[in-house]
Amino acid sequence: MPEHDHNPYNPIPMHIMRAYYESNDHSLKSFELSFDNHKDSEAFFKKFNPGQFCQLSIFGKGEAPFGVASAAWEGEFVRFTVQKLGTFTQQIHQLKAGDPIGMRGPLGNGFPIGDWKGNNLVIIGGGCAFSSLYALTKHIQEPNIRPNFAEIIVVYGTRNSGLCMYKNDIQSWYQRKDMQIHQAIDIPEEGWGHHVGYVPDVVKDVAPSPKNAVAVVCGPPIMTKFTLPVLVELGFSPETVFTSLEKRMKCGIGKCGRCNIGSKYICKDGPVFSLAELQSLPNDI
Amino acid sequence: MTYILKKKKINQVLKGWFKNYDVYAPQKVEDYSQFFRLTSADDLVLNEPHNTRFPPKALFLPQSESLLKYDRKINQLKEAIPTPKPRIIFGIRPCDAYAVTLLDTVFNTEEYSDPYWKTRRDATIIIGLGCSEPCQTCFCTTTGQGPFNPEGLDALMTELEDSYSIETFTEKGEKLFSDLLLASESQQRKAQEIQKKAVESMTPAFDTTNLKHNLDQIFDSDYWATISESCLGCGVCTFLCPTCFCFDIVDEVQRNERVRNWDTCMFRIYSQEASGHNPRPTRKERTRQRIMHKYSYWIDHIGEIGCTGCGRCVRFCPVGLDIRAMLRAANTFESETINA
Repeated sequence: MPEHDHNPYNPIPMHIMRAYYESNDHSLKSFELSFDNHKDSEAFFKKFNPGQFCQLSIFGKGEAPFGVASAAWEGEFVRFTVQKLGTFTQQIHQLKAGDPIGMRGPLGNGFPIGDWKGNNLVIIGGGCAFSSLYALTKHIQEPNIRPNFAEIIVVYGTRNSGLCMYKNDIQSWYQRKDMQIHQAIDIPEEGWGHHVGYVPDVVKDVAPSPKNAVAVVCGPPIMTKFTLPVLVELGFSPETVFTSLEKRMKCGIGKCGRCNIGSKYICKDGPVFSLAELQSLPNDI
Repeated sequence: MTYILKKKKINQVLKGWFKNYDVYAPQKVEDYSQFFRLTSADDLVLNEPHNTRFPPKALFLPQSESLLKYDRKINQLKEAIPTPKPRIIFGIRPCDAYAVTLLDTVFNTEEYSDPYWKTRRDATIIIGLGCSEPCQTCFCTTTGQGPFNPEGLDALMTELEDSYSIETFTEKGEKLFSDLLLASESQQRKAQEIQKKAVESMTPAFDTTNLKHNLDQIFDSDYWATISESCLGCGVCTFLCPTCFCFDIVDEVQRNERVRNWDTCMFRIYSQEASGHNPRPTRKERTRQRIMHKYSYWIDHIGEIGCTGCGRCVRFCPVGLDIRAMLRAANTFESETINA
């Protein structure tokens, strides 16, 4: 009997099913992981909720946390989009289809989607942090889940068009009648037919109504910092604005100590917090 | 029940335990004492004036331990959960035993039980030695326990003249001592007097009444810069702390092991993120994390202070920083500013 069921530090065995670059500069690469054991897959999807993350593990190289970028209905796999930044992510980028990899998760709370039933959703993302919001958007696009929500507005900004992830899929969202998509880049480019400017300004222009709405914001800290006040100005109450936080993490299960803000552990109590919760935490971000 | 163990009979009792148990007890190392597995009853030292330098938390959370072993060729892992022989920790001080119960609330949670911690914990009987003469650096009565606090102990010894009175609290503790003679009424009274005298010898080190509130209030203040000015960031206060539990996980490539090592919030790299951002870039924020964790966040988590008043951080700080003075300053910081 595999004992990793009982040991939260043991990665479950996975294989890379598909690996492909997301960005033109090859800094962002997506990996779709399949489960070696069906039992692990069952356990994963029983617990999985968009907004959660996993620790990816390579024996001899270590572990690092990444947000899940896929929805359960897409198939029996888990997608991660990894930005090449340090030594471990360079190792991950070298992996190709057929290579083994370990995974611990799903970890963290994920988005409180159950509480959002009947609401309009305003989904605001910037840069590679959009990956968790991609999981959320994919999740609610499922035909049986979609009726649980009213209007859906997605705002997604990147520094330039080449850094935009999930390009083909997002292109198809413009044809959908059940959602609005607003893409933005920081500086003008020839042939770009969408918004130009920083995400907070784009949100100001789009001006989503706070009525019966929930806003979800994921992006680099600077984007989040300036987007939250815009939402408050638009009339969103702190209880209806959500964001996902990142911290240096090791265990992912609230034991190794390092990812706390005040008495909350980002790995266990988060990574998703409402603005109201954030406001009650000390300034240690 | 309360039993009497003659000092000259200790060796015999220990030898009896050796058959069925690994016995861990303080032994002399250079100028200090430290918990090791006893191989000879003669190595036991119970009469040290100070607590052990190295905290006995290491018997449950080793400074470095293997979480798993792996074979990279076939990409398979091998469990490394320990299978300890039944163990007795003999002569632990009440502050350190209480610390183990605090750490239970971290490692033995319903959602994620830590199997390495749990197997060691389940295999262990803990026999404490109360402190008849608390040290100058001790402040366990201030943090809410005391030199004869029974929490976390299966039995507690009180030193009498030529013997120890041993009060048992659990079945496991009872089983170890039930062959001994019961303490007489006068022996029990004598032990109680010693315990009372020890408690009375300790004066409050700081006021805990509004301490958490006061600390929360000064989170963004200059207080932290002031108290951390002379800190070297060496981390000894956290390594020797019986309730500090932070760890790092790294792969030891040559040994093919994934290992966890004690880590410390006093180091810059501890919270350094891949993006380059560090939420605690200077010693000011790191000192704040250490103090706030013990005296505010623990209270949020379980309603108890996460410090047991053992005084190791006071005794071993290379620049003489004293957490008791820091907390007294925290209690008065606001009023000083207002007066200024």
